[in-house]
Amino acid sequence: MNTVSMEPIRIGMLFSQTGVTSVIERGERMGTLLAVEEINEAGGINGRPLRLVAYDPESSPARYQQLAEKLILEDGVRIILGCYMSSTRKAVIPVVEKWNALLVYPTLYEGFEYSRNVVYTGAAPNQNSVQLAEFMLRTCGSRVFMVGSDYIYPYESNRIMSDLILERGGEKVAEHYLPLNAEWDAYLEIARKIKRLSPDFIFSTVVGDGTALLHRAYREVGLDPQRMPIGSLTTCEAEVQQMGAELAEGHITSAVYFQSVATALNERCVRKCKQRFGPDVVTNMCWEAAYFQTHLVANALRLAGSDNVRELLRVLPGSEFLAPQGLVRVDEDNHHTYLRPRIGKVNAQGQFYILEEATSWVRPDPYLVDHTLQDWSSRVPLQAQ
Amino acid sequence: MSSKATGTLRLLRELRSLRVLMFHPEDQDGQELIAQLQRIGCQVKAFWPPMDRLPEEADLIFFAVRPEVLSMDVPWLWRDDTPPIVAVVNYENPTIVEAVLAMNALGVVASPVKSFGLLTSIAVARHLSERKREHEKYVGRLEQRLAGLRKIAKAKAILMNTRNIAEDEAYKIIRDQAMAKRVTTEEIADAVINANEILGLEPKPSSVPTDLDSRRPRVVSRKSVA
Repeated sequence: MNTVSMEPIRIGMLFSQTGVTSVIERGERMGTLLAVEEINEAGGINGRPLRLVAYDPESSPARYQQLAEKLILEDGVRIILGCYMSSTRKAVIPVVEKWNALLVYPTLYEGFEYSRNVVYTGAAPNQNSVQLAEFMLRTCGSRVFMVGSDYIYPYESNRIMSDLILERGGEKVAEHYLPLNAEWDAYLEIARKIKRLSPDFIFSTVVGDGTALLHRAYREVGLDPQRMPIGSLTTCEAEVQQMGAELAEGHITSAVYFQSVATALNERCVRKCKQRFGPDVVTNMCWEAAYFQTHLVANALRLAGSDNVRELLRVLPGSEFLAPQGLVRVDEDNHHTYLRPRIGKVNAQGQFYILEEATSWVRPDPYLVDHTLQDWSSRVPLQAQ
Repeated sequence: MSSKATGTLRLLRELRSLRVLMFHPEDQDGQELIAQLQRIGCQVKAFWPPMDRLPEEADLIFFAVRPEVLSMDVPWLWRDDTPPIVAVVNYENPTIVEAVLAMNALGVVASPVKSFGLLTSIAVARHLSERKREHEKYVGRLEQRLAGLRKIAKAKAILMNTRNIAEDEAYKIIRDQAMAKRVTTEEIADAVINANEILGLEPKPSSVPTDLDSRRPRVVSRKSVA
């Protein structure tokens, strides 16, 4: 009995170390590693250490699917922490449903999904899109140029943004999608078109390496963030560091966490992360979700006493955790997470100055079709900082 | 009830010889679909990505509504003569739902594809497609009949005006002519209208009503005045 109880609990981790979204996924990996080390330092799961089994899915949905199956069937893992792009999550879901495993997913996405076998700890559109639309329309104007990577998250984000802007009597001056592997010339062309059409702001759902190219092209054609900022849901500290603060300064991001969140807990976590992974490391919303979701899982494991998924699903939904962003909670009904929306502006140091912050967490509503600006502002008033 | 039951049997029997075109990536779902369709007895051919014209005739189409096809040009999806489409979806957000509705899919299969339920989806899609075609035919017949009635009404109006006779008398003339010449009343009405146009018996051609609705008040008023 004693020997069995000391055996490690193995947990799978799938974050890409290579490929187009590897920069942001490396952050998710760091958040997970940091949390696992904290958990093990604090005595593990009732004395049993957590042991991560990790592979590199190379930003490829097919690899994600193969490796998820390998984790479950060959490594005997019941819980997988992972995925960034929706396409990769969609590839893993059939696997975890088939083998009754659990995917815990730390990334913002476009909503309209629920799986008994998935817990979502990133923002749903009602926790970031509405806030961004509200802020940009209020502070910049109502003529928007939309540019995104060519996949489902940008399509759906732009649909929501279009609805919100039309509701305000605003105007969508253009909507463009670029392949995930698009090159400099494509971004330069987009930037020239932006300059020609002169919108009030740009809504970008470009992800991965394209983010830096977009900002560089924006600068190349001589646009000014003070007059025509890029508003984004996906450009966080990792992308800013990748492109350099100079290119990102003045642009706007809506997220539930920034490294600059001024809680004692966050400052401690950021410090630890730098100690562990190097002084130049930055944290971001995906890092934070990866970090707190690992702790949520550990707490659930302690309560359930094992990694039996049926038992875990009795305790994980409804559970709360004091995360770097503030208190978070997994919703019992939809498996998404109560999170705290914020609006940040990039400063000269590549960090986000938090302009606005919700006064409390916002309940996740992944199936919300009618995102109205009124709803958001009446339900969760923003307070200026 | 029994005729409905026979219809079901026929539908199910036809599944055995169904020519199915599948537009689906070569992945686990695609393989599962092909395997189950073949078990059912359908002849399946699979393609990906979808091409801009249908490669051959088909009775049923399975179409994977993947995000990447939203920006593709697949003109045959929107045509009236396209075989019934069953959409295979792996997202359920409004963007994808809109695409499924736009292609007039008659059935939906969710990813991950399960063998169970596929047969019912196919039967429902085929059934809806037949019903739709029957309704279209029925509407076509009604439209024809309506056009015929309009012609007869117009011919009657001409006869009433030129001969100063009542409506039932005008109709009797048309009907008697049709019987004598062994043609339809519609054809006689056509002849009357043509003769009227050629001979210019009507004082002002523009006053000749061209459709039932605009003509009706005049006939009514004539009758009520008379």
